[in-house]
Amino acid sequence: MTELTPANRRFLAFDLDDTEREQFGLNGHTIEQLSDYLDRDRMPADPSIDDSPECEIALRGLERLRRAQRLLLKLDLERESRRDDSWVSAILDNITLEAHAGRDIPLTHPVPTARLVVTEGAVRGILRESGDRMQNVLVGRCVLVGDVNVPGTPIVIEVDVTVFPGENIPLLADQLRQAMYAALGKYTELVVAAIDITVSDLQALPDASAQEKEH
Amino acid sequence: MPGTVREQVASPLDTAADRMLADRAADGDLRAFEGLVRRYGPLMRVQARRVLGSNDETDDVVQEAFITAWQQLGTLEDGSAVKSWLMRIVSRKSIDRLRARREHANIDDTDVPAPDEHAPHVLAEAESQTEALARVLATLPEDQRRCWTLRELAEYSYGDIAAELGLPLSTVRGLLARARKTLLREMEEWR
Amino acid sequence: MTTVIPSTDQLDALVRQVPGVDALYPARSIVATVLSTALDAVAHHAPAAPLVHTVAQSDGVRVTAKIGIGAAESSADVSGRVHDAIAEHLRQVGNPTVAQIAVIVARIG
Repeated sequence: MTELTPANRRFLAFDLDDTEREQFGLNGHTIEQLSDYLDRDRMPADPSIDDSPECEIALRGLERLRRAQRLLLKLDLERESRRDDSWVSAILDNITLEAHAGRDIPLTHPVPTARLVVTEGAVRGILRESGDRMQNVLVGRCVLVGDVNVPGTPIVIEVDVTVFPGENIPLLADQLRQAMYAALGKYTELVVAAIDITVSDLQALPDASAQEKEH
Repeated sequence: MPGTVREQVASPLDTAADRMLADRAADGDLRAFEGLVRRYGPLMRVQARRVLGSNDETDDVVQEAFITAWQQLGTLEDGSAVKSWLMRIVSRKSIDRLRARREHANIDDTDVPAPDEHAPHVLAEAESQTEALARVLATLPEDQRRCWTLRELAEYSYGDIAAELGLPLSTVRGLLARARKTLLREMEEWR
Repeated sequence: MTTVIPSTDQLDALVRQVPGVDALYPARSIVATVLSTALDAVAHHAPAAPLVHTVAQSDGVRVTAKIGIGAAESSADVSGRVHDAIAEHLRQVGNPTVAQIAVIVARIG
């Protein structure tokens, strides 16, 4: 077939049940293959698709379908984002700190039947808080390495930190380390041999790295 | 010990990268977890609604998904993959709901009415393309809709869809091809 | 040995009143409940059980309190005060043998 393919010509060659007819109408290809071809941005170029008017019509239909899909998703997301906050509260009301409590870190007390502990989760919380009180620092994952439940055992703390651009990283890391030592001294009896701070990710302010932010 | 919704104040966390939010939430930071809920909750709701084909169980499914996510965040190795991880959880919860619904229907000895594949033609011209697409999606047979939604919205690979649904890969390919062709055919009808 | 279990309702109120205590959490694991119950049920969890957990065992009374504290004071100071308050309360309500008084600081600030 060599006839021209007007933009409004409908593509009706495929058959829901008959692959042979589908391939016959699509220069030997299937809708699935054409869809994969679009996924690859039509690369590498396949002349048997690109030069086929039937395939071109089908590809146009697939692209139209994708545009409609994207628009529908956008509209659906907008509608969901307009909901009031009650669904957020409903979720947060039903989760517990317990899931992330971690190990028990002992505190000393003169009475032998006393068992006083601060949880690992609470300690990670104050480590994050130390960073959050500073400007232009975000504390990510905090790991307490060592036997935190055995009093007196030296441990190491590993911290991932994001620092905003333009900051003096060594200076900021040092300030953060001091703040963390102070907090650990106040709220725990841990013997901390070292606080290793890894600046793992530079984040542009305000939202360059925030993906898919809806507001 | 329930979490509480704090006042919405601008915080660096609101714009933090996914990995930062996921890492902090994995460490037990409720504020970071709330950030994830706000960032991806709407998308997860869309996913749940599309897999379930209705609205009435969406809230429950998304809530269950987030409770599971909160408990299992520590197992997520790469925090930057949290979006697709959440989409998988909500997809799985939605599919579980569908299965439960079907078992329930079997017990009651009532068949879920088969969707009428040809109904969409009638009013097509009066609708926008997105409305029509939404309606055709809703009328796709359930197995096709599940495959299509996992593929297009949750970005599953064919192999992952097969594993998730316990179907042979060839069946998944067939269902997806059929869903796509049905949608394409309806698209032609709307023009 | 007869062991008197003190009123746990009183213990809840007592612990809440200790200076530095910001929050009182259920001391018994909820995880077991979550794992064994359908999540729908958990969505409406917490029948109003006492938060401070008390059991009488052969070796005596075991009391567990899980608290959140403010940032102003050290966790050792606040949890120590909670311990002492519970111990004093036990003395006043029959002075049972104490096997353990556990205070867990689950949240700070």
